[in-house]
Amino acid sequence: MKGRYEDEKLFWIPVLIAAVFLLPFLLKGMTNSYRYYLYVLNIAGIYMILTVGLDLLSGYTGLISLGHAAFFAIGAYLSAILVDQGGLPFELSLIIAPLLTGLFGLVIGFPALRLEGMYLGLATMGFGFIVKRMIIALRQWTQGSNGLQVSSPHIFGFTFRNDWDNYFLIYTGVVLTVVIARRMVRSKLGRAFMAIRDSERAAEAVGIRLAKYKMISFFISGVFAGFAGVLFAHTSHFISTDHFDILLSVYFIIMILVGGVGSIYGAVLGALFIVLLDNLAIPLFKDWLQTFITVEAGDIQSLIFGLIMFLFIIFQPTGLYGLWLKVRIYWKLFPFNPRKRFS
Amino acid sequence: MTELLTGLSQEVVSGIALGCIYALVALGFTLIYRATEVVNFAQGELMMVGAYVNFFLVSRISANLGITGAWMYFIAFMGALLFAIIFGIILDLVINRPLRDQPVFSVIMATISISIILRALVAMIAGPFTHIQSSPFGDGVVSFNKIAISVQDVFIIFCAIVLVILFYIFFRKSRWGVAMQATSADPTAAQLMGIPVKKVYRLVWIFATLVATVGGILLAPKTLLDTNIGFIGLKAFPAAVLGGFGSVPGAIFGGVILGIIETISAGTLSYHFAWIKEINDVIPWLVLIAVLMVKPDGIFGIAKVKKV
Amino acid sequence: MKLKMSLVGITITLLLVGCAKKELTPGVTDTEILIGNIQDLSGPMKELGYLLPAGANLYFQYINDQGGIYGRKIRMLVEDHQYNPQKAVAAAKKLIEKDQVFCLYQVIGTSTSEAIIPILEEYKIPLVAPATQSGTMSRPLRRYIFQTDTGYDKQMNVLIDYILRQDKNARIGLIYQDDNYGANALKGAAEAEARHKITLQKESYQRGASDFSGQVGNLMKGGATHVIIAGIVREPIIIMKTAAAMGYRPQFLGLSPTMDHRVAIAAGPAGEGYIAANFAPLWNSDAPGPVLYRKLHDKYADPKTLPLGMYSYYGFATATVLVEALKNAGKDLTRASFLQALNSLDYKGGSFPDFKWTRTNHGSSGKVVLVQVKNGKQVEISDWLD
Repeated sequence: MKGRYEDEKLFWIPVLIAAVFLLPFLLKGMTNSYRYYLYVLNIAGIYMILTVGLDLLSGYTGLISLGHAAFFAIGAYLSAILVDQGGLPFELSLIIAPLLTGLFGLVIGFPALRLEGMYLGLATMGFGFIVKRMIIALRQWTQGSNGLQVSSPHIFGFTFRNDWDNYFLIYTGVVLTVVIARRMVRSKLGRAFMAIRDSERAAEAVGIRLAKYKMISFFISGVFAGFAGVLFAHTSHFISTDHFDILLSVYFIIMILVGGVGSIYGAVLGALFIVLLDNLAIPLFKDWLQTFITVEAGDIQSLIFGLIMFLFIIFQPTGLYGLWLKVRIYWKLFPFNPRKRFS
Repeated sequence: MTELLTGLSQEVVSGIALGCIYALVALGFTLIYRATEVVNFAQGELMMVGAYVNFFLVSRISANLGITGAWMYFIAFMGALLFAIIFGIILDLVINRPLRDQPVFSVIMATISISIILRALVAMIAGPFTHIQSSPFGDGVVSFNKIAISVQDVFIIFCAIVLVILFYIFFRKSRWGVAMQATSADPTAAQLMGIPVKKVYRLVWIFATLVATVGGILLAPKTLLDTNIGFIGLKAFPAAVLGGFGSVPGAIFGGVILGIIETISAGTLSYHFAWIKEINDVIPWLVLIAVLMVKPDGIFGIAKVKKV
Repeated sequence: MKLKMSLVGITITLLLVGCAKKELTPGVTDTEILIGNIQDLSGPMKELGYLLPAGANLYFQYINDQGGIYGRKIRMLVEDHQYNPQKAVAAAKKLIEKDQVFCLYQVIGTSTSEAIIPILEEYKIPLVAPATQSGTMSRPLRRYIFQTDTGYDKQMNVLIDYILRQDKNARIGLIYQDDNYGANALKGAAEAEARHKITLQKESYQRGASDFSGQVGNLMKGGATHVIIAGIVREPIIIMKTAAAMGYRPQFLGLSPTMDHRVAIAAGPAGEGYIAANFAPLWNSDAPGPVLYRKLHDKYADPKTLPLGMYSYYGFATATVLVEALKNAGKDLTRASFLQALNSLDYKGGSFPDFKWTRTNHGSSGKVVLVQVKNGKQVEISDWLD
C-alpha cells in the first residue's frame, strides 16, 4: 500500500510549522520594530488563506475570478455584523461567516456554468463592483461608505489584542488552510478539478459532472475567502468598502501568478512574496533610488510593482514555485546538467 | 408630460456623447480581441496617454512656436496621432509578441500590469497636478427646442461616426482589412495562405492606440486631465460585451446604449425613483451580467463554437 | 533536527541581546523632531498629496532656519496610502514602529484617518490636523485626533442659513459625492432641514463621474434656485458648465474642497458668482496667516513646482498649529507633554480663525467664511459665520 504523501518528505512539514511559530520570537530578538514586521506578515497570512482558495478555483479548476475581493468583503462584513451587532460568539462566526460566503460563491458560480475565459473574468469583475455597492446600500448594518469599527477576535476567553497575538491566530489559520487544501487536491475532488481545467470535454466524457464540480469549486473558494475576510475584519479593527476594490482582486491574481498557478505552496509563496515586496522591498529600493534621482515617491512604487509583475509573467510564467522546482532539479542533477536540449 | 420628454431627450443627447467615448474605448478592445484574442485591460490607459500627449503638445506649441487657435489644435492632434502609431508598434513588441500562446489568465494580468506601469510613468513625467485641457470649440453650445448640446459633444459624435465608417470600409474593401479578418478567423491558416500575420498584428495594435488617442483627446476637455481618467476604460467592457465582443458596429452600439442608460438613470429615473440612486454606479455591470446570462455573445455577436 | 536546535539557539541569544532597549521618547533627539505624514501620493487625490506636505514644509523650513523648536529641527516623513484605508494602516504602523516618529500629522482622507484610530489608541499617539473636514473626526470626541477644520456638516448649515437669509423663498438643491464625504454633508443638510423646516432636492454622483447632465437636468426640473455642490475640484467646473449649456442659471455654492481658485479659471464665465465655504482665511487675503504664507512662498518655493493656492496654504496653516503645540509642550518634549499642550492649545496664530482645544473638545472654531468669484477672482464676501 502506498500512502497519500509517499512521494514527499513529510519530515519537513513539522519543521516548517515550528519555524513559522518561532519566527515572531526571532524577530522580537532581532529588531525593536518587530511589531511592524509582524503586521506585514499577518497581512501576508490573511492573503495566503485567500490565495490558496483562489488557486483552487483558478489554478486547479481553471475558472478565472476578477472579483475575489468581493468574497473577502462579504466574509469581513458578515462576521463584523454577526459578532458586533448580532451577538454571535467569534468562534461560531469563524465557521458560519465563511460558509455563508461560500453560498455567495454558489450564486456567482451559477452563471459561471455558461461562461468561460474572459467572459467569466468580466462577470466576476462586475460581481465585485455590485457587491461593493450593495454593502454601501445596506447602510443600516454596514454604515455605508463610512466604514465599520470591528471588535477584536475573542476565542474561549482569550482576546487577541495586538499583532503579536494575531500572528498566532492567523498562522494557525494558514496552516489549517494549507493542510486542508493539500488533502483536497490529492483527493477525487482535486483530480476532478484538474480534469475540468485541462479539458472540459474530456472531463465530461469520463463522467465528471461539470456543473457539480464547478459549483463546488466556487463554494470552496468562497469559504476560504470568507475565512480570510473574517480574520481580516477582526484583526485590523476597521473595514470600509474602499479596501475591497477591483485593484485588490487584481492583486490576488498577481499573487497566484507570481507564486505559480496550480500549486498550493505556490499560492502561499506568491502572497508572501508580493506582500513583502510591496511593504518592505520596494520602499527600500525606492529610498535607495532617491539618493540618485529625485522622483515623486508614490508613483515609482507602483512603477516598480508593475514592472516586476510584467517581467514575471513574460519570463517566469510558472512562477516562484516553478522556479523552485527548476532549482531543485538542477541541484539533483548537478554536475550533470543537460546544457542543451532538443526541443 | 412635455417636461418629461424634454428631460429624456436632453439625457439621450448627452448620453450619446458620453457613450461615444465608451464606444471608442470599446472599439479598441474589439479590434485587438478580434485579431489577437488578447483582452486589453490597458485600453483606458492608452486613452489617458493619448490625452496627455495631446495636452503636452498643445501647451508646447502655444508656448514655443507661438501658434494659437485652430492650427495649434490641429498640429497637436496630428502629433498625437503620430505618437499613437509609434506607441502601437512598441506595444505590439512588448505585449503581443511575448504573450502569444500564453493562457488568457496571464494575458489579462500582463495587460493590467501594463496599465499600472503606464499610469505610474505618465504621473512621473507629467507631475502631480490635474490639468485643464481647453476645447478647440471653447464653450460653444448648440441648442434646439430647449435641448442643449455643446459643440465639443457634437464633435465627439461626429468623430465616432467617421471612425466607424472608416473601419467598416477598411475591413470590407481593403486587402489589409480582409487579411485581418482572415487572421482573426484562423491565424495558422492565414499564415499558410501567405498573409504576414505579424504585420497584421502590428497594424491592429496601431489601430487600437489610434482609436484610444482620439478618444482621449475628445474626452479631456469634457473632464479634467489626470492619470485616473483611464478608469473609464473599465466601463467600456460592459459596452463591448453588450455589442458582442468582436464586432465593430456592436462596440459603437453597445457604448452608445450604455451612455444613454447611464445618463437616464442618473437623471429622470433617479428623479422619480429614489432607490435608483443606490445602483446608478453599477448599472453597466448589471447590464453586463444580464447580457451574459441571456445572450452571452452580445446583441451583434455570432456564437462561436470552441474547438477542442 | 539540527536545524531546529540551532534555530532555537539563535532565538534565545537574540532575545537576550534585544532586551537592552532605550527609554527615550521616539522621534525626538536633541537636534530633531521626526513627524509622520500619510498622504495619497499615487491615488485619486495625489495632487493634494503633493501640495499639502509642500505647504507644510514651507513653514517647517522657516522654523528650522530660525533654529528650530528649542534647538530641534522638524523633519517630516511622508508615506503613501493611495486613498486605501488598509494601506493607511500599514503606513501608520511603519511610521510608528519602524521609523519611530514622534506623532502623526495631516493624514489625508476620512476613511483612511478613521482606519488608523485603533492604532492611535494602541500607541497613544496624537494625530494633529487630519486633512479632512469631515465632522466625524472630532464629533464625537476622539481622544488622539485634533482637528483644525470646520466640518462639512457645519459648513452645510452655514451655507443653508446664508441662502435663506438672502432669499427666504429659495429652493435649495444639493449635488453630493456618494461616499463618506457626501454622508457628512448630508448630515449637515438634515440638521438644517429640521431647523428651517425645508426639504432639499438631493442628487448624487459617483467619484470619478464625468457627466452630470442627468443631475443638473433634475435640479432644473425641480426648480432649484440655489445649488450646493459637495464635490472636489472637477465637479463644480463640469456642473456649472453643463448648467450654463442648458440655459439653467441658479446660484451655485460649494463646500470647502471646491474652494480651489482653478474652479474659477476653468469654469470661465459659467463660474462667475460661484460661492464657496472656506474654513481658513483666503490664501490671497490680508490676514496675517496668508501674508506670512506668501512671504515664505517667495523665499523658499519655486512657483513653477509649487504654485500659490488654497491647498498649499492649507498645508502651511496646519503646520503653524502643529508648531505652536510643539512649542507649548516645552523643552522637555514627550508624548505626554505634547498631549497636554494639545489639550490646552489656545490658537491665535491667524492662519485659522482662533480656536481652543480642551480635554473635551478637539474640534475647530466651527466658523466659515464665504468666498465668491468676482470677475474671475476670488474675494471674501462675508465675516466669519457660525
